[in-house]
Amino acid sequence: MSARRGRKSRSSAVLNQFARDLDLWAHAVELRTEWLGHALCGVPADRAATEGAITDLYARVDHPPPAFVWVESPSAALRELPPSPHVLSSHGPWPLENRLASLVSALRHRLEGHRWTNRDSSFLSSQPPQDPVAALRSGDTLKSIVDHGVRGALRRTVRDSVAGVMRAALPDRLGMFWYGQQEADWVAYHDVRRRVAGARVNPADAAELELWATLARSCGWWWPRADVCVIAERPLAVRTEPVPDAVYGEARMHNATGPSVVFPDGWAVHSWHGTRVPSWVIDGPTVELIAAERNVEVRRCAIERIGWESYIELARLRLVGRSSDPGNPGCELHLYDLPYAQRGASVRLLLAVNGSVERDGTRRRYGLHVPSWFDDPIDAAGWSYGLTGAQYALLQRRT
Amino acid sequence: MELAELLDRTGLDVLDHLERQVAVPVVDGVQAQGDLIVIPLAMLGTVTMWSPTPWRQVPPGGVELVRGIAGNNPHTLVADPHTCRWTTSLRDPIGLGIAVFENTEPAYLVHPEHGGSGVAPGCWLVRRQQERGTGLRARTVLIAD
Repeated sequence: MSARRGRKSRSSAVLNQFARDLDLWAHAVELRTEWLGHALCGVPADRAATEGAITDLYARVDHPPPAFVWVESPSAALRELPPSPHVLSSHGPWPLENRLASLVSALRHRLEGHRWTNRDSSFLSSQPPQDPVAALRSGDTLKSIVDHGVRGALRRTVRDSVAGVMRAALPDRLGMFWYGQQEADWVAYHDVRRRVAGARVNPADAAELELWATLARSCGWWWPRADVCVIAERPLAVRTEPVPDAVYGEARMHNATGPSVVFPDGWAVHSWHGTRVPSWVIDGPTVELIAAERNVEVRRCAIERIGWESYIELARLRLVGRSSDPGNPGCELHLYDLPYAQRGASVRLLLAVNGSVERDGTRRRYGLHVPSWFDDPIDAAGWSYGLTGAQYALLQRRT
Repeated sequence: MELAELLDRTGLDVLDHLERQVAVPVVDGVQAQGDLIVIPLAMLGTVTMWSPTPWRQVPPGGVELVRGIAGNNPHTLVADPHTCRWTTSLRDPIGLGIAVFENTEPAYLVHPEHGGSGVAPGCWLVRRQQERGTGLRARTVLIAD
């Protein structure tokens, strides 16, 4: 074979590989969409399938089936949980839930360890390629794209945003539990590896993985305990919006007109563009409630819900002074009189623009309460950091 | 140094949309990163250090100076080994000071939403931001973004 023909056949082999990878990636995206559907699914739980899978998991740690208690929300589950032992003892048997945790941890370790070694998990911490097709063309492996584009994308949407927002609305200590439908990130990843990338998984592990897949398709959060397993229904609805500029279909919790997630018993959580907020921010943001809110992020969301322009009008804010923001080129500081704070010490509102750009290319505006004796926005901004206006004016950079 | 290199060297991360191929400027003066501000210690006569001062070297993984209210948005101070020492043993009459650091090479503050800020060699006070409370007992409160 001549050198030229050798190069040609090599390049056509590369092209064929690229075409194959493109097809496989398209298939992976279909499966990701399917699993995202399960993770956000709002129909009642498949109780028979759920109880079957959990019974099987109990059997794998040599435990008889528990009594199943179904509740209508994760919040309701907390009332049904038996008190848990305070400490893990190194003597005697571990509690059932800890043995289940070891079981799934070992399963995931074996599934990871087969062909896609631990080294591959470093992809999770690196930057996902902005264009998966271009990345494949330039020689990135399918597995790295799947890691970012299936597991990473689902983790960001399902675990970080949806489950994270719900988790944040509950008390700190929930005991050991699993997310049911919101375990979809890692379940989907292994599903894609097997069905798309041809990863070989031994039949026993495949059967065990299928139990978790069943739960991801069937139920909400669940709390396994020795004699009882408390299982929450799936929500009635989950409202999300696409994350701006996301290339892997990531979504975040958002509903401008009601709760972003609501359960059959009425337990609900509200979110504004991914940030969890009290219900009044969505249902009835008022100038008074905004004035009384201590959390600056919640205040920002509530004002954005009204709209800054309308808020300034509604709150009858009178502009006291404006000035360019040192260290933040092109941005201004505005100082407003606040008519709403007569009962407490009087305050003014310093409106500043964030130094760093948001994902959608905009900059957030922040309103900060400052003492009313300031007339100069620079003095007021300086005060917020314990500086004089002259010292704050030396600010060289704001991010 | 570019943000990407800074992240590689520290194992820290920032949100995906921040431009990583952009150089992180090293600033010799006052600069703010969200709700934190870095001030030359010499600029303020009122802040004093404990004597003797229990300095600590900034470890390779950096030091979390303050965590956001959601727990996942820390401001982390990072520096090359043996080029930066820090302490929280200070007296700031207005109570906003959280740390002082002294560096002989550029040190960096990294935050997931704000990216990176480079600080020129010097002795620096890090302060948090406050705002006025609006209740009947109007105290000042710290900002946590």
